[in-house]
Amino acid sequence: MASISEQLYDALGIMILGMSLVFVFLSILIVAMKLVALKFGPAPKCGSPVTERQPQSSQSAVSPLMAAVITAAIHQHRKKA
Amino acid sequence: MEGLIAFWSESGIANFTSGQLLMMGVGCLLLYLAIAKKFEPLLLLPIGFGAILANIPNGGFTEEGGLLYFAYHVGIETGVFPLLIFMGVGALTDFGALIANPKMLLLGAAAQFGIFATLIGAIALNWVPGFEFSMTDAAAIAIIGGADGPTAIFLASKLAPDLLGAIAVAAYSYMALVPLIQPPIMRLLTTESERKIKMEQLREVSKKEKIIFPMMVLGLTILFLPAATPLVGMFCLGNLMKESGVVDRLSSTAQNELINIVTIFLGLAVGSKLSAEQFLQMETLGILVLGAVAFSIGTAAGVLMAKLMSKLSGGKINPLLGAAGVSAVPMAARVVNKVGLEANNQNFLLMHAMGPNVAGVLGSAVAAGVLLAVLG
Repeated sequence: MASISEQLYDALGIMILGMSLVFVFLSILIVAMKLVALKFGPAPKCGSPVTERQPQSSQSAVSPLMAAVITAAIHQHRKKA
Repeated sequence: MEGLIAFWSESGIANFTSGQLLMMGVGCLLLYLAIAKKFEPLLLLPIGFGAILANIPNGGFTEEGGLLYFAYHVGIETGVFPLLIFMGVGALTDFGALIANPKMLLLGAAAQFGIFATLIGAIALNWVPGFEFSMTDAAAIAIIGGADGPTAIFLASKLAPDLLGAIAVAAYSYMALVPLIQPPIMRLLTTESERKIKMEQLREVSKKEKIIFPMMVLGLTILFLPAATPLVGMFCLGNLMKESGVVDRLSSTAQNELINIVTIFLGLAVGSKLSAEQFLQMETLGILVLGAVAFSIGTAAGVLMAKLMSKLSGGKINPLLGAAGVSAVPMAARVVNKVGLEANNQNFLLMHAMGPNVAGVLGSAVAAGVLLAVLG
């Protein structure tokens, strides 16, 4: 059996090799993930609020002001009845 | 009268050895920790019970033909059980937080320093009389620092089957103790203002990214580290089943029924390794000490790496996140969230901590692959 200090030396080698391999492997993965995100990531954020807001204003044909007026009118009508 | 003597000579009372009684005590302690303290009950309960069964005199559970004998040889010696569990874990894991912030992989890598530092520690322990760890023993012990049960059992079954019982018990016990081990280290290495750092909200992640991710991880493993493909491959299979959305039945089986069934037998089989002659050794004590050291160093390395990244990014990263790099999903992420909330009660770090947390699972699988490739 090799002496303890020799084994320690080997262990140190495995540590350096292992940590660098883990870092290299995961760093390559980071780069790969960034590339995938560029190609397949969700649509950029600046576009989404616009598309979200547009249907809101176009779908509701009645403006908030008109809606308030109509509500008030119905309310008054019911009160009278 | 003869019948009575024959009955007596077969009874437990006549055949107990002190070692067996002590190991039954260890089994009961594990049951107590699982039931009363809720320490990883899913694993420690079957392991504790397995330890009791394995030490019954004349029970024959661990002899050839016994239930635990088969459970061990079919499931653990072959590496099948930990791999099936890993598939289930893959099906349970959402990589969204990591895909949204890939830099967190570096934290998962840094925390693996605990593994490799413990490798040196285990060899250095040979200077103490009574310890004689070979390099493969040391590697199997060191993987406790990966804080990942299936990975630890897989590697131990390949490199040091004799130490498997003690290694599995140490790994799962320390995973349960993460909320006690980590916070002091995290507080020691960070300042109050660093702990208060709030993180930006994570971006959305598309379904395509989530489907491509496991394929990409597998591809890289095939290219660079085929020794890790059993672990990473099963993990990616589970994850792909979940994310693809077309095999919900398989994904649900992997993350429920299958992982539960395998967990029962894995626990029993690990417990069967807790026999008096294998467990009551000086080495076990060393393994327990080294396991705690591995966890602590891993946590510290993760936090220091996160501190460095925080400095480089101009204070955008909360250094506490580094502690989540030692897998132990999701316990470590919860601990990060808790310590973050102590510093600032509006600071919810849980989602951010899931990134390094799942990165830690990959990191320890890669580290296990390196150890297998070099020593296996």
